[in-house]
This record gives sequence, structure tokens and C-alpha cells, in this order.
Amino acid sequence: MTDNNDYIIELKNVSKIFDDDTIAVDNFNFYVRKGEFVTFLGPSGCGKSTTLRMIAGFEFPTKGEIYLNGKDISNMPPNKRPINMVFQRYALFPHLDVFENVAFGLRLKKIPIQKFAKDGKPILKINKKKAKEINEEIKLTKKNKHLTKEEKEAKLEDLNSRLKVALTTLEPTYKYKKLSNEEISKKVARALKIVDLDSLEDRDVTTLSGGQQQRVAIARAIVNEPAILLLDEPLGALDLKMRKDMQLELKDMHEKLGITFIYVTHDQEEALTMSDTIVVMKDGVIQQIGKPKDIYDEPKNAFVADFIGESNIYNGTIISSSKVRFLDHNFNCVDKFPLNEKVDVVVRPEDVIFKEKDEGMINGVIISKIFKGVNYQYTVMVGKNEVIVKSTQDYPLNVEIGMNIYKDSIHIMKKDFTTNIYTDAWINKENKVMIDDMPFDVDITQLLKDSFVDEEGYLVSKDKKHRYDLNDADVVAEVSIEKVEIIDDLESKEVQAIGEIVDSVYKGDHYQLIVRTINEEDFVLTTPYTYNLNDKVGIHIKKEDIKLRLKKEISQYEN
Amino acid sequence: MVKKILAKSYVYLILLLMYVPIIVLIIFSFTNSDNVGTWNGFTLELYPRLFKNEAIMKAVGNTIIIAVISAIVSTVLGTLGAIGTFYAKKRTRAVIENITQIPVVNSEIVIALSLTFMFVFFGTYIFRTEIFSFWTILIGHVVLSVPFVYLNVKPKLTQMDPSLYEAAINLGCSPRQALNKVIFPQIKPGIISGFMLAITLSLDDFIVTAFTSGPGLLSGAGKIETISTFIQSVIKKKVVPNELRALATLIFICVVVATILTTIYQKYQRPEYKMKYKSSDMVIKRNFRILVISTVCLLVTIALVAIILGMF
Repeated sequence: MTDNNDYIIELKNVSKIFDDDTIAVDNFNFYVRKGEFVTFLGPSGCGKSTTLRMIAGFEFPTKGEIYLNGKDISNMPPNKRPINMVFQRYALFPHLDVFENVAFGLRLKKIPIQKFAKDGKPILKINKKKAKEINEEIKLTKKNKHLTKEEKEAKLEDLNSRLKVALTTLEPTYKYKKLSNEEISKKVARALKIVDLDSLEDRDVTTLSGGQQQRVAIARAIVNEPAILLLDEPLGALDLKMRKDMQLELKDMHEKLGITFIYVTHDQEEALTMSDTIVVMKDGVIQQIGKPKDIYDEPKNAFVADFIGESNIYNGTIISSSKVRFLDHNFNCVDKFPLNEKVDVVVRPEDVIFKEKDEGMINGVIISKIFKGVNYQYTVMVGKNEVIVKSTQDYPLNVEIGMNIYKDSIHIMKKDFTTNIYTDAWINKENKVMIDDMPFDVDITQLLKDSFVDEEGYLVSKDKKHRYDLNDADVVAEVSIEKVEIIDDLESKEVQAIGEIVDSVYKGDHYQLIVRTINEEDFVLTTPYTYNLNDKVGIHIKKEDIKLRLKKEISQYEN
Repeated sequence: MVKKILAKSYVYLILLLMYVPIIVLIIFSFTNSDNVGTWNGFTLELYPRLFKNEAIMKAVGNTIIIAVISAIVSTVLGTLGAIGTFYAKKRTRAVIENITQIPVVNSEIVIALSLTFMFVFFGTYIFRTEIFSFWTILIGHVVLSVPFVYLNVKPKLTQMDPSLYEAAINLGCSPRQALNKVIFPQIKPGIISGFMLAITLSLDDFIVTAFTSGPGLLSGAGKIETISTFIQSVIKKKVVPNELRALATLIFICVVVATILTTIYQKYQRPEYKMKYKSSDMVIKRNFRILVISTVCLLVTIALVAIILGMF
């Protein structure tokens, strides 16, 4: 039971693990207030649809509970839930006309009427059905292999006590009555009026346009007066203009009806336009929950920043209490972070201000320009980095230009640092990976499953049909911070790169060091020993510890 | 111009080749000579004789009974099988789909022979008696037509929006209600065409029937004869009985009527017609038209048969 009556639906520690052991939703904690418009936003495969389907009852959570108005509905079958859904491709019943489609749910509805004996006293009986349902749930819990022993015992105990209560208490009995035809027609007419389709009730649904079908689908759901309306990317099949209109109309409907809406989309603009609350998801995990404006202005991490609106994201380093270094410049910033911390820096394209050359903080060359109606979108090269800028001013291509980024527009996010990522690494002739212009031994067969390297140095596929020449191929190299070895003897043959220790942080039982080379490449590593700042040390990484990822498709390198 | 004529005449030539045998047969059903080719003058004598010929009538009866029962059984099995595999896991579905392909392309003689061997084996070692009967024929015909029903229903399921079932459940249907109210109406055309195909396959099956036939049905203690096995057994001894020309004509007329009716029905089911008759009173009008045309067709057939019978 939850304490807060304001929550219409609450998910507690909900996880969904599919039969093939893929984790779709991982420890989801989240609630929705009555009447809210909540959007699950994330790329495809992030678990947003699975979460929606668990609320609808098409999937049952492997772990955790779902509460509707404080009542556990985790294992309640979908047809018993007061929740209706609008499907991605509407799922209208083609053999029924508009009226019958909308009336479908009403015709199935049965209204309970309490039974009374002749003397006017209510008839009381033990609710056998309820006991049976609890028994079913006990069976399911016993079979569930994803719960720990303690969790299982606790849940079984709870269920058994509920079973005892159900078997001993007398409950009033009900008989059920169907809705009359007049009631149904009245309700259908009202629902069709809400979606502006009142003139089309006799039409066959196959003869309707996409937008009209969409409206029928919504009417079919809201006519049942559900506690929650779920919408699974309902506008995905409509064209752009129609989609924009429907977005506003849905928002309007939400305000008029007062029903709680839970909406799923991968379109960030849609989410920003319509929702009261946005839940950003990635890989089954909630990244951020917040109001649209908060999520846009204060993204919690680089993923959210990247997903919500266009943004420039850079690796930065904190160099003093109010300065951050990125794009080879020290910028003032507002956020406070520990010195030398590696951070993600996010700058929105509209927050970069053009200045005349050499008058701004940084200089760059405009390499592309796209007219977007309201403004131009420029891509400016600053050294090796691209900066995307939105501006209403018109500048020519290929000119050098100055830019300012003020401290209020620089969003700094903590980087959860576990891996060194080198995005501008490449492979040399000897099949070594070049990080910071230093060669590191690496196993390049990891780029293609079951492949091997032949005598001439080509990568050959398992069936020997394809050969790849990876010389000069751009790669992203990743090395876990625990796998970077530090070597004191600079003369040793093991040494692959030399650098200076610029940062040392004690993390309980080990130090996390940052070794910076002459070319300003950083290696973050862990060591149990103390080093002094500015010590010169050697770096070694074992061949098998470097993970590579090609920037382009491997087929491009086919020889 | 010449090209056009050639193209057209080609089509008519093919149609002619297809229909000439039937036309000849129909023409000669109106004369009572024993050989096709000799015209003894117009008479409808063959028709009442057909209905008085007990052997033929028994064969016709047997054929219809077997066809109807086997078509019902295989439609039920095939439809449920198709729904089951459609909602099964991917791998199971792939395996079952491949397995059902084989009987379709397999030669009938192989099916018939293997069925015979199986029945003989069961009869000798398990039941300790001859088991050939109506049941063995039924099993044979069902085996023959189930894959065809499955293949007719399956495309209807794949064409269907996969979330229809979930939509029905979401609106409050129990799983069985969802099947009855939503899935079946969607795949009904597939089920009907599967049923028709099963009937057709059973009606003119010879090989499986000949191999699996035993005593029973209208044939009593004798071996069950269907139209095809009956004809085969009589032509072994003498010429084709001339009543069969009348029988073939009647079967042909039935087929033509059935085809016309389904074509009309399908025509009015098409979206452009649904568009045209979109309001409810127009739908009634549409249904009324279908009804009128069907009734006229049926009445004409019945009248034809009645006239022929009535003349004698």
C-alpha cells in the first residue's frame, strides 16, 4: 500500500527480464499524480513501451509491484484493469463501423448491482474468486526464478495472509447488468463529439483517413472512462502537419477530460510540447524525471542533453573553482566541481553567440550552413571539434568567426568515469591502435566476430570470403580505468606512453590518477600506491584490454 | 489492329480449350445414347434416370457426407492450428510452417500409400482386426486438406494488425471473447475459402479414398464408394453409364452458381463499395441487393432441376 492518495499509479522497484535474459526495464521507481500528462521518452529499445505494457497488463513485472490507486495490480489480467490504451497503429476493428468500434468496450461492460435477500439484508458470502486469484499468484511467485529467497518468502507470507483473510471474511455479493442500448448510444455520441467525429458514426473504419482513424481509436478508449489513458506512439503514423495538430488537440482533450495520460514517444519535440512531466529513459533505466523546461535547461547527464533538443557535448576538465576547459579555451562556469574532474559540458546551439573574428572567446571556421526557416544552423570547426550554432544572422561559408559562450549557458555534468574513451584513435600499418600518436598493441580481430589476421596483415572473415585493410581506419578505443598500468621505470620496454600526473584523488582504498601526456591526452587509472603530482610516469595497456569500435561500417574497408 | 485481334483470339482460344469438354458433356447429357458422339435426339431422360440409379445415388451420398464432415474437421483443425502457430514463439512457428508446406507439395500417392501402411500396421498389431472403414477415409481426407486450410487462414492472420487481439483484451474481452469477437471475423474469409477448398479436395479425391476405403455409410457392408471410385470401378468392366453425363452437368451448374454468388459477395465487400454505401440505410440497400441476386440465382437453378424432373 502506498501512503500518498494523490498517486494514481505507482511503480515500485519494477523490473522486467524477458525469457532470453534481456533486461528491458531495470528497477523502475516512479509515480504519476492524478490528472497528470506524463511522457516516457527515449530511443527505441529503451524499455518505455515495455513499461507501458506492464501498466496495461500485457506484460507482468518480473520483480516489483504496480499500484493503481494504492491497490497492487501487478498480476491483474489486462481485461480487468480500468486502463485503456491507444495503439501505435490504432488497432481498430475493421469488421465493425465507427459506432460499433467505439461501443466495443461498453458492450462488454458489466455494472455490479449488490444482491439483497427478500428481507432487505445484503447477501454475504465468502469470495471464492478472490481466493482463487490469490492462489494463482502464489503459484506464479513460487515459479519466479528472478526473485531472491528472502523476497520470495516475504511475498509468499503476504499472499498467504491475504488468502486467509479472503477465506474467512464474508463479502457482499453482486449480480451484473449490461449497459442498455440507449446508454451506449449516448456515451458513444458524447465520445465521438469530443474527438470531432460525430457525423461519421455509420462509416466503415476502413474508409477513414489516418487522422480520423486516430480519433476513433481515442474515442474508443475514452468512452470507457478509464482511470488512465495509455498512448503508445499514437501519432507515429501521421504526417508532420497532422501530427502537430493532433498534439495540440490531445493536450486540449487531456485538459477537458481530466483523465491521467501516459504517453510514449521517441520524439523529443512531441514530449516537450505536450507533457506535464517527462521521464527520459535509456536501456531500461530512468535517466531523468522532470518538467519539460527543467529537462531542457538542466539535463542531468550527457545522454539526456543529447536526446532532448540539439546540443554540443564536449569532454571538459575543471581547471579552477569557476573555470572549465573545453574547446581549448578556459570558460567561466557556474557549477561547482572538484578540481581536475573530468566532466561533460553541454552547450545548446542557440546559446553560442557569434562575434567578429578575434573578438569572441574562441575562433572557428564555418563549414556548413542550413536555412531552417526561423534561423540558420551553422557548423563551425574549432580545432578538431565541431560546434553547432543557431543564429538568425546570415554569415558566409568558410570564413573565420569569433564565438562567445557565457557561463549561464554552460551546463556541466558529472561524468561517471569508469572508462577512458579515445574518440580520435586510429589503426596504423602494423595493426596497432594509435592513441595520442603512440602505438598500442591491440587485438583487431575483435572488430569482426570469429575473424583472424592473415600473414599480410589483413583482417579475414571466418569464411575467408572477405578481407579488410584496416590501415588508417578511425576507431574509438576504450580502456577501463582499472586496466591502465602505471610504470615507474621510464626506460622499460613496457612503456608505451609517458606523461605527468596532474591529478590524484583518494577513493577509499585506491587512488585515481590522471596522467597527462605532452599532447594533452589524459589517461585515467587506479593504483593502490601514492604518487606525487607532476611525477613523470610510463603507461602500459595490455593488448586484450583495449576495446575497439570502428567509426564506419567495416564493409568500407573491404579489400 | 491485327495484334489486338491476335491477342484477343489467343485468350478466347485458351478459354475455348478449357470449356469445350464441359460444353460437349453438357450437350450430350440431353440425349440418351450410350456413346458420346452419337446423337439420339433431344431428351431429358438421363436426369430422372440418374436419380433412380441407386448405385450412383449412393456414391453421391457417400461423397457428400465424407466431403462435408472431412471439410468441417479439417477447417477446425487447420484454423486452430494457424491461430496457435501465429501466436507461438518464432522458432516454433518457423518449424511448423515448414512442416505444413511438405504435405502440400508431396504427391498424393505417397500420402495414400503411407496412410494405408499405417492403417494396416495398426490393424495387425494394435486393433487385431481390419480397421478400414469410413473413419480411415475421413482421416485420409483430413490429412489431405488440413495444410490447405492452414495455408488459407495464415495469410489472413499475417495481414491482420497484430495489436487487434491486445486491443480487444484492453477493452475488456476475456481471451476467448477476443478470439470470437475480433480474431474470427478478421480471418473468416480465409476460413471460408479453406473450407471450400477442403470440400473440393475431398469431393474429387480418388487416390486416398481408393487406398483407405472400407465398409460403411450408404454402402452398408460393401466397400464405401465415392463418385470417383465408383466410376473407376464401373469403367473397368464396361462403358461409362450415360447417367453420369447428367450428374457431371448438375455438379458443374452447382459450381457455377457458387462461383457467381461468391463473386457478387466479394464485389460488395470491397472498400470502394463500402465507401459508396456508407450510411446505414445504404448498407441495408447493399445487403438487399446481394440477397436479391443470390435468391434469383438459386431459384433459377432449382427451377431448372424441377423442370427436368417434372417432365418425367
